Amino acid sequence: MSNLWFLYLFFSALLIFTGIYCLLTMRNLIKLFIAVEVISKGVSLVIIATGAVKNSILLAQSMAITYIVVEVSLVATALALIINIYKKNKSLDVRSLSKLKG
Amino acid sequence: MVIQILLLSGLVLFSILAILLKDLLKAALSLAVASLFLGIIFFRLGAPYAGVFEISVVAGLITVLFALTVALTRKDSEVQEARLTKLVFPLFFVIFLIIDGLVMKGLLQQVPALPAGPETGTFGEVLWKARTFDLVAQLGVILAGVLAVLALFRKKEEDKDE
Repeated sequence: MSNLWFLYLFFSALLIFTGIYCLLTMRNLIKLFIAVEVISKGVSLVIIATGAVKNSILLAQSMAITYIVVEVSLVATALALIINIYKKNKSLDVRSLSKLKG
Repeated sequence: MVIQILLLSGLVLFSILAILLKDLLKAALSLAVASLFLGIIFFRLGAPYAGVFEISVVAGLITVLFALTVALTRKDSEVQEARLTKLVFPLFFVIFLIIDGLVMKGLLQQVPALPAGPETGTFGEVLWKARTFDLVAQLGVILAGVLAVLALFRKKEEDKDE
């Protein structure tokens, strides 16, 4: 069972690394939120895999569902913010946000 | 084991595609396919409810939200990414892959697992009875999200006067 846990955690670490790399290097706001999504996929994989391996899959499922609801709410709000930023700056470049006045 | 590795590889591959593809719509679709893989993995791990949520909400709803945002911001929204970003990624990825393979097994043995007996009851009992407070929190989060979206898209006062 430990091998199975290793396998899932190995791949979820890859997902989280990919997301963090994108967050650190990309400039497009939509890409940054795609990276957040990729990281959250890694985290939900950890939750469910650990639940399955440790024989508490029911609890893990309810946690994962809560996590997905939070994720959707976050993405909806973030995308609304991105649209507003685009309307104001006419750009999705994250560097344009550093030109704040005041 | 082979099917699991294939599914996990598909998940990682489409997640990487979602990040590296230049076209944002294609990136959003790749993310949806990655969610589909994750949903199938959840089913295979014995978590059908989480799998259904993953496929319907994340692969469905979030993809629609991303596609909508891409459609609304498409005009002149080309962002010049740093050239090195995509070139250096495979190198960093392989380095991390090696470190991950070497370190993760040792880490797992050190993770203290909470003592837990075998679970009894059904998923419904766990969700509605044991985790009731989570559901209240979920309602709060959904309400906060709806109010935030409404606040962000409200019309300005001047627009109303005109």
